[in-house]
Amino acid sequence: MATTTGVYHTSYRADLALRHTRLEYVRLALALAVVAALPFYASPFWLHVLDQIGIAVIGAIGLNILVGYTGQISLGQGGFLAVGAYSAGVVATKSDLSPLVGVLVAVLVTAVVGAFFGLPALRLKGLYLAIATLASQQIIVWLIVHWDFLTGGVDAIVLEPATVFGWTPTGDFDWYWVIVGFAALATITATNLFRTGVGRAFVAIRDHDIAAEVIGLDPARYKVLAFAVSSAFVGLAGALTAYWTQILTWERFTLDVSILYLAMIIVGGLGSVAGSIYGAAFMIAIPAYLDQLSLRVSAESILATDLPAIKLLIFGLTIVLFLVFEPRGLARIWQRAKDYLRLWPFRY
Amino acid sequence: MDTFIQLTVAGLSNGAILALAALGFVLIYKASGVINFAQGQFLLIGAYVVWALTVDAGLHWALAVAGAIGVAIVLGLLVERVILRPLVGEPTISVIMVTIGLAQVLGALVQIIWGTEPRAFPEFIPDDVVTVGGARMGENRLWALGLVVLALVVFAVFFQRSRYGIAMRAVADDQQAALTMGISVRRTFALAWALAGVSAVVGGILIANLIGVSGEVSNIGLLVFPVVIVGGLDSVPGAVVGGAIIGLLTAYTGGYLGGGLDAVIPYVALVAILLVKPYGLFGEVRIERV
Amino acid sequence: MKLRIGAVALVLALTLVAGAQSRSTAPAIKIGAIFDRSGATSDVGVPYSDGVLAYIASVNSKGGVKGRKIQLLSQDTGYNVARSEAFYQQLRTSGIVAISGWATADTEAFKARVAADRLPYVSASYAESVANPSDTPYNFFIAPSYSQQMRIALKWISRQNPGQQVKVAVCYSDSPFGRSPLEDGKRYIESKRLPMSYDTQCAMRPGGTDFTAQLTRIRDSDYIIVQNTSAPASTLAKDAARLGMRARIVLLNWAADELFVTLAGAARAGAVGIQPFGTTALKVPGLKAPTQWLQSHGGGSIHRKGIHYVQGWYTTAVLIAAIRRVVAQNEDVNGPNIKTALETMPAIGTGGVTASIKFSKSYHAGQRGSRIFQVTRGRFRQIAPLTTP
Repeated sequence: MATTTGVYHTSYRADLALRHTRLEYVRLALALAVVAALPFYASPFWLHVLDQIGIAVIGAIGLNILVGYTGQISLGQGGFLAVGAYSAGVVATKSDLSPLVGVLVAVLVTAVVGAFFGLPALRLKGLYLAIATLASQQIIVWLIVHWDFLTGGVDAIVLEPATVFGWTPTGDFDWYWVIVGFAALATITATNLFRTGVGRAFVAIRDHDIAAEVIGLDPARYKVLAFAVSSAFVGLAGALTAYWTQILTWERFTLDVSILYLAMIIVGGLGSVAGSIYGAAFMIAIPAYLDQLSLRVSAESILATDLPAIKLLIFGLTIVLFLVFEPRGLARIWQRAKDYLRLWPFRY
Repeated sequence: MDTFIQLTVAGLSNGAILALAALGFVLIYKASGVINFAQGQFLLIGAYVVWALTVDAGLHWALAVAGAIGVAIVLGLLVERVILRPLVGEPTISVIMVTIGLAQVLGALVQIIWGTEPRAFPEFIPDDVVTVGGARMGENRLWALGLVVLALVVFAVFFQRSRYGIAMRAVADDQQAALTMGISVRRTFALAWALAGVSAVVGGILIANLIGVSGEVSNIGLLVFPVVIVGGLDSVPGAVVGGAIIGLLTAYTGGYLGGGLDAVIPYVALVAILLVKPYGLFGEVRIERV
Repeated sequence: MKLRIGAVALVLALTLVAGAQSRSTAPAIKIGAIFDRSGATSDVGVPYSDGVLAYIASVNSKGGVKGRKIQLLSQDTGYNVARSEAFYQQLRTSGIVAISGWATADTEAFKARVAADRLPYVSASYAESVANPSDTPYNFFIAPSYSQQMRIALKWISRQNPGQQVKVAVCYSDSPFGRSPLEDGKRYIESKRLPMSYDTQCAMRPGGTDFTAQLTRIRDSDYIIVQNTSAPASTLAKDAARLGMRARIVLLNWAADELFVTLAGAARAGAVGIQPFGTTALKVPGLKAPTQWLQSHGGGSIHRKGIHYVQGWYTTAVLIAAIRRVVAQNEDVNGPNIKTALETMPAIGTGGVTASIKFSKSYHAGQRGSRIFQVTRGRFRQIAPLTTP
């Protein structure tokens, strides 16, 4: 209940609600309206970028569940995306099952693989876990490149266009709705996850896992579960990548991709689903914008001749500057903006 | 048997180079607890600066190496001051990511300044073939081995006898206590990063000597992880032993099994060690206190 | 806070810089180009892409194609398929009529797409798998395929050792590019019943610094065929020399160049190169145009720049020749017409740099043979004329 002196809740249900004030509902409606209207106004290039962002949102939410909410560092995102994508790819090319089955298989397989690679988390923390996941990333990619019979090795797997219930999404416009649908599903699932006991257990493990164990949470169970749940989201993102791009090569899933996703959730805000969305959009839109820019400047300018280096530089600088000046990311910046407006003319 | 000796020698000499690259990493971790994901780029910058000073500016190689060491020290100090100081106390993930971001920035700067064309490294390390116990290897590998042994001895003495070395160990053990004893933690960190810069220049020179001066020099940065995990993140002898083990494993796999397996075996070794002895062979076991 | 404002200001400044753009009044002909100037194959990608850019610039300096300038939309995608793919998406909605491609991985990944989008794709990848128009109707490349080069190498080896059993090993980049000719080499040996043993376990890890271990396995080989770019090939040569191996090194086209000679040092002596584009030291009229352009535009000597510059130059020349033909026949400059022009146009001479280049409706590789060279006294010199397997 919003009053002039603040927001008060008079029931547990109200306390757990996702939105508390009318203003928040209005903002949500506006955001949804923008998301619905975007594909009609975007140029083909930006529509393609939006589709990429949509898939990245799902992956970023997954990673944030693991890293932001449960505090387990993972450098293996690229590898898990690969598992999801190649599972879907194998289902698509080696059987006639519906793409929905492919997606389901991808989600389940990736969750299992994620749980397996999460086992080191039971013994390792922080830095050691990060390095273990780095190793898992390299090993998974190597397996994909060398496991010819299953994956096509260094050659690409090419998928036929996906058809569900007689409808084949063709082109980025159709895919936008599919991707946004899944992204919305992922967002709602993740948000609700943290209203449940399981979600709270994850957060407890992040904050102080020894204390969590003392009060009766089984850290082993919840850590592995965190890896599994996170990987399920990532598997979904991987499967969508497979069906959308229709061409699967191992280069899509290298360490650079893992780093990109980590950058997304750090820039966006650890431990925040909205942050994952902002971070994904930010880290994909900026290089895309630079690409566009480079095509319009003269060929002599440094942007055109050194484009990859400039993109790399800006990528690195973004990470460093955010971490030095606003470690809690875009979500925090947005929160501060909202607070400023809400509390004005007071400072806090 | 012949093959075995050849592979052993090749593996050890590669391991020596890995150990030198890993040394800087260990120093930084030992002193400040920071994992430097930008170590590969430090090697890269070391190699490029030596090349630039020798070939572009025409300096004698000894001056070029000294110059590069100077640049590396300055870079190390800058990084410590500007980027890592503000992140003291932040969660591990943030510190890891900031060094990853730094790695990208440094790599990009090298590309922008010097371009991407591979170049031949100035030949001041002799490359004649030397036969050791029936195995052949280049003299530059012998240099690598020699330098590693030298580094091992120097650092052993440094950490046991020198005031600064002992101060570094104190800071690594307990910063608060070190501060109360009057040790300047800031200077210790700075020293660690400076020393890491020096070892990066040496490592970078050795690698560029083998494969030429190009962006590929920084790839060895990733192989440093298996080395330091196997050896122990905060142990200098560990880095040397780890380097030897990873070098030998890679050589034997590549030589006897082929098929590209040697690319993945360091990471398998890494995972294996983490499951069996997480702190590495020589690392200090961290006991977690509530 | 201040630094953050500074970062935003930087991006804004870049945007303002972008405002300086030239406009052309005649309808330009747009071609897309994917380069590798910073990735795993940038050692050869940089001069190649410079050659492409140079040829386009030289055409435009002479007024373009019948008054229409050629506009090149290019990007360095660093040998990364995902980035090339994103760029391709950008390109196909930018009104291009053809693409100058680079990597084998990209070419394989796009072959269905360019056929669907009907965009002729002239690649620097010479993988045999994209030479067959019934599989890949819109892919073209102007050199003999990697498999063809492998066959030429094997034929040369068998000619050097008539009737004798030889041990041949192949060291290749652990990538689609590297693996492309392996199977076809095996088949050639079997079909010609050559007395050769053929080892293909020497995979060169991209970014590897030392190949001693792999070489130790094949220590007693007589010949090592290398399918890789010049920088790793030179490391391999040096490692082999250090091991005292007697094997003769046979380089396929992406390794047989001046950069190899520079980087390999003393180990270069005697290395054989299957190089369809020859060397910059050949005295042929076809080298005049690229040499002069390079000189007059501050690029220095063509010997330093290397043969891949000439390769990029002539690859683009073939594509532009097809476009000229379309324009001369007063047809629309679009993908399908350029494809037909490429298939039907008469053989194109390159002034002796290569054999004449001719495509057909059934084969999209422009040449079938190559000259063979060997490094003697510090340079690649011709040791065999045009050889076909």
